[in-house]
Amino acid sequence: MDKRQEKLNNLLDLLATRSCQPLSYTEKLELNHLLDEFPEYTPDYFEDIAALADSTMYVHDEQNLSSMPESTKKKIIKNFRSDNEGFSTLQIFKNIFQTPKLAWAMTCLLAIGTSMSMIEFRNYETNYRNLPVKKALLEISSDDLIEYNWFAQSNEFCDCSGKVIWSDDGQRGFITLAGLPMNDSSKNQYQIWIVDPNMHANPVDGGVFDIVTTESPTIIPINPKLPIGKAKGFAITLEQTGGVVISEQPLILTAPKERPQSTYGISQTTI
Amino acid sequence: MSRNVKNQANIDNKAAKKDVAILDLIAKDHPGSFEMLIEKYGNLVWSIGKKFLGNQSDLEDAVQEVLIAIWKSAGKFDPGKASEITFVSMIARRRFIDYLRKITKHKSEDSMDDDNNNIHLYKESLLNQETDLALVKSAIEELDADDQELLNLSVYQGYSHSEISDILNIPLGTVKTRIRRNLMKLKDAFATNKLQSNVIQLNNG
Repeated sequence: MDKRQEKLNNLLDLLATRSCQPLSYTEKLELNHLLDEFPEYTPDYFEDIAALADSTMYVHDEQNLSSMPESTKKKIIKNFRSDNEGFSTLQIFKNIFQTPKLAWAMTCLLAIGTSMSMIEFRNYETNYRNLPVKKALLEISSDDLIEYNWFAQSNEFCDCSGKVIWSDDGQRGFITLAGLPMNDSSKNQYQIWIVDPNMHANPVDGGVFDIVTTESPTIIPINPKLPIGKAKGFAITLEQTGGVVISEQPLILTAPKERPQSTYGISQTTI
Repeated sequence: MSRNVKNQANIDNKAAKKDVAILDLIAKDHPGSFEMLIEKYGNLVWSIGKKFLGNQSDLEDAVQEVLIAIWKSAGKFDPGKASEITFVSMIARRRFIDYLRKITKHKSEDSMDDDNNNIHLYKESLLNQETDLALVKSAIEELDADDQELLNLSVYQGYSHSEISDILNIPLGTVKTRIRRNLMKLKDAFATNKLQSNVIQLNNG
């Protein structure tokens, strides 16, 4: 027998042993070395036939087959379920993204959803009908929701109405407005202010917005530029396009009606 | 519907469930597929585990690990390469052998005379769906009696090669060589039988 055939027989002996029992450390090293030399063989070369022969012996001779005790079955199922509670949802998403058609569908839905949410606050005309949903969502996610009505600070805006809905914990909220005149966004924009005297000496910029129609109410999200501790009041001014850091313009609307106590840096006419 | 007919319907339903391709269901994340895996292959995995480990507490842990390993690997199952039972048995044997190495326990001498409830139904189900089992059985029967005994001791009863050498009073090298040759013969015979079976199926349309 030539040397190569001898090595091959040795490899097959080790593979046969591996399919039936654990290999010793030296046997493993030798097997790895021989597998490098005979790359056409894999470690599981005999494992399929050994497994099949094994199953055959059980299946064809029922005396050899043991029933798993019911208590063990129940225990394994219970352990499996408790270990995989969170896995199911993950698996659903995994399955979706492993199926090309579903992945595309999901991607499209996500893209549409993202676009809708971006459009949401810009599409002022249709936005108002979603108010109950927005409020409900905010209520679900926040325990500290506050709600104020807007009050005009001059007769010019006495037809304006609307609300501020805000959560300090959530650091978010929105305003509703009706009756505010349209602005020319190339020249000026309305700006929201949040009064939090305990944390900020001056009112905090809550974002700018445009009124593009007077036929229907408008909903605008509040986007504070600084963290808010406890909002005591809100105001709206008309500023240069893009807004300002500190306002010198007269107040158009405030919420609540009475100016909060200890509102540092804020006067009747300027913010 | 009379009670007998109803019972028969339940039995048929049970048998039908057992014939389902479980690994495919697991791969598709079918609800209850793990329970179905245990229902169909639990006894086989338990029996293989018992052969390797014997000890009840180790056995329970190991069987759980094996079943979860099968469940996790279901997506890798390719029916074109192996039958479901081969895939399950391969994972089970490999895992139990690894487990045995880890815990370095000796094979139990316990008898296997447990409660055998439902085994008949289980056995019938596997025989019906797994033609591979019949083919490999035929290949085993082609071996001579001594080789069948050797295979029985090593593959089925799980004796180590050195234990077989002691039992049969033959040199260890001879045991290794004969086991390797027997497995090789089985592999070749199975492949030939499988090919013939496929040709017959093709000819029968």
